[in-house]
Amino acid sequence: MFDPLEYLPILIFMFIALGISVLFVFLPMGVSRLTGVHEPTTEKNSEYECGFPAFEDPRSPFDVRFYLVAISFILFDLEAAFLFPWAVSLEYTGWAGWTAMMVFLGILAIGLAYEWKMGALNWE
Amino acid sequence: MIQTLAFYLFALLVIASGVFTITARNPVHSVLWLIMAFFNAAGLMVLVGAEFIAMLLVIVYVGAVAVLFLFVVMMLNIDFAEMRAGFIKNFPLGIAIALVLLAELVLGIGAYKAGALELGVADGSAAPMIGESNITSLGTLLYSKYIFLFEAAGIILLVAMIGAIVLTLEKSAADVRGQQDIGKQNRRRPEDATEMQNPEVGKGVEL
Repeated sequence: MFDPLEYLPILIFMFIALGISVLFVFLPMGVSRLTGVHEPTTEKNSEYECGFPAFEDPRSPFDVRFYLVAISFILFDLEAAFLFPWAVSLEYTGWAGWTAMMVFLGILAIGLAYEWKMGALNWE
Repeated sequence: MIQTLAFYLFALLVIASGVFTITARNPVHSVLWLIMAFFNAAGLMVLVGAEFIAMLLVIVYVGAVAVLFLFVVMMLNIDFAEMRAGFIKNFPLGIAIALVLLAELVLGIGAYKAGALELGVADGSAAPMIGESNITSLGTLLYSKYIFLFEAAGIILLVAMIGAIVLTLEKSAADVRGQQDIGKQNRRRPEDATEMQNPEVGKGVEL
């Protein structure tokens, strides 16, 4: 049966990871603040020599085909997620459950064949 | 003890991430906060014993958030000044939706307080757990009793896939450039491609 205490090591690991990452972020900041000379001026904070102000927004709209790839990823991700409970419950569902999953996979295979045929998987 | 502490940690982080999601100025930042909220919700699911749902939250929701990223970057064409201008215009609509959600919350909690509403059981009856874990019970129900809903989910996934292809792909299969038909190349014989001519002296070749 389910025992939440099995997850205790993961929780402890999470706290250790949090502590170490906080340390990595703030320790150098604190050390440099304490040991270095901190006198910012306008000239120091400006772009350095050959650096120049950005021409445009870095988040420019990009190719819509990335969206198609992402949607395909989500769909097959879901398909994989459906496979897990199917695999562990086969002894209870028997051939009916097996056939149901094969029909499901067949439906998605039709989609994959369509995608392939339309050239949506090609990247020119 | 540890479970109570973990519950309050995760619940607090879910609520805090939710608040940051809606107050963040930058849409990309709010998507990142949303990922944080999903991870903590997965932690809550582990605490109530729904391990499979927890893993599903991480696998599917966080993956779906990647697509949200795409929406944010691609569709919105981020212009912050313009977005804040739309805030005033859409304010009444936002208030209306918030009121509807509030009414649902009040009705739901009211119905629960009135009693005779079992939470956590599918059709009101106390279903015994089949097999040794909840993923086994879930699979057993999903692939026997709810088999048609499962196949309907497959159809919906197919529709989503085809819809995405139809919407985003402007070219048809016929004019995919640079596509090589190797079978056609191999079937081609020299007799089909060339023609031998023996023209007389002083006359040209008729094409």
